Amino acid sequence: MSAITDFIRNTRRSGLGRGTFWVTALFALFALIASWFLLNLVIGGKCGSACVVGTLSQMIRLATPIAFAALCGVMCERAGVVDIGIEGKMLMAAMVAYGVNLFTYQMLLGMTDPATAATISRVLALVLSLAGALLLQILHAVVSIQLKTNQIISGTVINILAIGLTGFVYRQFLAENLPAGPGTFPIIRIPLLQDIPVLGPIFFQQKPLTYIMIILVFVIHYMLFYTPWGLRVRAVGEHPRAADTLGIDVYRVRYVNVLVGGLIAGLGGAWFTLEAVDVFNPLMTNGLGFIGLAAMIFGKWNPFGALIGALIFGLGSSATSTVSIFRPDIPSQIPQMLPYLLTIVVLTGVVGRATPPAADGEPYDKQ
Amino acid sequence: MTSTQSTVKPSSSLRTVIGQIWDVARLPVLALLTAFVVGALVIWVSNGSLLTVYDAYSGLIRGAFFKQRGFTETLVATVPYIFLSLAVAVGFKAGLFNIGVEGQFYVGAVAAAWAGSAVHNLPAIIHLPLALAAGAIGGGIWAAIPGYLKARTGAHEVITTIMLNYVSFRLAEYFVSGPLKDPFASAVQTPGVSREAELWTMYSIPERLQVFSNALAVGLVVAFVAAVIARWALKSTSLGEKYQDPNRRRMIYAGAGLLAGLIALFGLPPLTQLWWPFTDPYDRMHIGLFLGLAAAVFIWWLLWRTTLGFELRMVGANPNAARYAGVNITRNIVLAMAISGGLAGLAGTIEVLGVSICRCLPLFFSSGYGFDSIAIALLSKNDPFGIVASSFLFGAMRNGADLMELNSGVSKYIISLIQALALLFVAAPSVVRWIYRIRVSRKPLDEETTLTRSWGG
Repeated sequence: MSAITDFIRNTRRSGLGRGTFWVTALFALFALIASWFLLNLVIGGKCGSACVVGTLSQMIRLATPIAFAALCGVMCERAGVVDIGIEGKMLMAAMVAYGVNLFTYQMLLGMTDPATAATISRVLALVLSLAGALLLQILHAVVSIQLKTNQIISGTVINILAIGLTGFVYRQFLAENLPAGPGTFPIIRIPLLQDIPVLGPIFFQQKPLTYIMIILVFVIHYMLFYTPWGLRVRAVGEHPRAADTLGIDVYRVRYVNVLVGGLIAGLGGAWFTLEAVDVFNPLMTNGLGFIGLAAMIFGKWNPFGALIGALIFGLGSSATSTVSIFRPDIPSQIPQMLPYLLTIVVLTGVVGRATPPAADGEPYDKQ
Repeated sequence: MTSTQSTVKPSSSLRTVIGQIWDVARLPVLALLTAFVVGALVIWVSNGSLLTVYDAYSGLIRGAFFKQRGFTETLVATVPYIFLSLAVAVGFKAGLFNIGVEGQFYVGAVAAAWAGSAVHNLPAIIHLPLALAAGAIGGGIWAAIPGYLKARTGAHEVITTIMLNYVSFRLAEYFVSGPLKDPFASAVQTPGVSREAELWTMYSIPERLQVFSNALAVGLVVAFVAAVIARWALKSTSLGEKYQDPNRRRMIYAGAGLLAGLIALFGLPPLTQLWWPFTDPYDRMHIGLFLGLAAAVFIWWLLWRTTLGFELRMVGANPNAARYAGVNITRNIVLAMAISGGLAGLAGTIEVLGVSICRCLPLFFSSGYGFDSIAIALLSKNDPFGIVASSFLFGAMRNGADLMELNSGVSKYIISLIQALALLFVAAPSVVRWIYRIRVSRKPLDEETTLTRSWGG
């Protein structure tokens, strides 16, 4: 047993540890102040309190798909499976969600009133989009766990497959002559909490997937670091042979984690067409799946860290859009590059060297 | 007349050569075949008629080869595939997964558009190589950045190159609509490159050869190629058994070169009248194909016949062993990425200098070659000559896709689906082996497994 406890102690040390909640809270405060200063520096004092609150609310919104992608990465890689096919799964889920939302709504319109039809079709779309992502993830799981193919190649296959599949369905069924859809999820205002000044509009006037994302961060963090299940997962990711010797079914753990990760990536994909905009276009995920991986590395394979990473990228995008409103003379391409450049800076370890789980990316051979 | 110290390898009969090729190509060919069958099933299911499958595939073949200019258009589409998948393959051989070829393609295109239009009135034998070099250097530097970061900080190249892809799309957009914008054009685009920097289309060759320096350059290049081929023929085939004397051999190389050069110098203009791309002004075929073939030979030579190539492959196969053997890992990783990016940059350069209608970089530049070329490199197992063959196949699929869609109403994205499935079957060979009941050969699976490593490095 000591082998496992040793490894766990090591991962604890490399992770953000018990203080993660406070780190997150401090970061939120820091982001608030820093963005206020920076924004006003660039745009010359025109960003009042409403503008800053709007920017930060936008930050949370834009961080949602990145955080989902990062959580998918955490789930997979803590169990030792690299997943660079998140982008593809999100694309697939976005396409399925859009199509199901649209056609279910049309079917239901005759039967119930529009509001009920819209709610039912959105929920059904969410469920089926998860199924779509899961389908691709099953492929990834079988190919990389069972057949022991190189996991990065397998992820690339998923990405190309998703581009082909979504493009095919889009051209065949979703490109033209579409009826009106039910639209995206409405904003859910949480009673009482939404009335807190500043924090209320930022955190408690969001759409449902954003709340799910925040809850998931807590749940996954708790599961990974405070339950026997999490101990097993981390053992499998650090030293599968030792875990196997102690009677943990390595394949089973990896399958469960990878498939759950796929579902989470599906949530991230559904965000695009059920929360952000009411259209689907090919390649609409625009690299956010990969940025999610960078957020995961930034967060040192830790759910809270991943959330912080996602928030930084969210802040980058929302601040650039605020800047572009006030300063149209700055060529829009320059600020648009910033999140990507930021990712590279993060990866080079400026913020501290990140150590992946020791068995990350290595197929496990049962003996 | 038997020489005891003969260095000539025993010549192999045609049958064994074909057998060897089949041994290597069996898996990719079966993978593609299976992918086409699955693609047919998808078409059948989504359209409900087997006739649609026939319409689609026959349209694909007609579009790729038999419609007017179909074949040469396929060749035009083949060229960027050759360069980009060679780029991916060089990365793989050094243990690097360069997903950033698409971005390097764009940077190369910007650099070439600038170099081609910044100066005028240079002779073509200077300006064209200059523009090509600019594209290669642009792409090379762009790719060397993630290489350096990987070697020095461990930032994994899969993510950094993808991020640089998005940066380079924006960068190209910025240059085309900002500093490099053509003020006189109605569309947002860079100014067209000067005529001397254009990549020669087949149609323009007879006219260009009227300039003496061009004709001389072509003669020299053809002479060099002929000498290299003669050298290869004497060294590696049974032809060489007759001529063991080194001086005699040198004479043969020189003679072959001289003869071919003279034919090129004086015989080419009349010869060009025989093949239709030379006489059809609307045919887009250009000499990039020959550059691509030369690049394939060069990469093969570099990887398997030079010390640098050996070191690159060693770093790719086992970096720890390489470090132990005194190989400079940082230098080799940066170099591998630079070569890879240079090839990708050349692909973009060729598209600007030889294919785009305005001979410039427009705002919306055709792309989508990047991911396909990863599939090609994997499908060909990083073998340069396999890459040429697969690139031709992918070029044909890309070129035939439009007529397929027109013919049958099946979306041309089915092509991506087929390609992804082929890649899947190659990446997970056990699927194909299981379907076709192929036994795993006893031979070691040499470098198949060392494509890229995970984050840990």
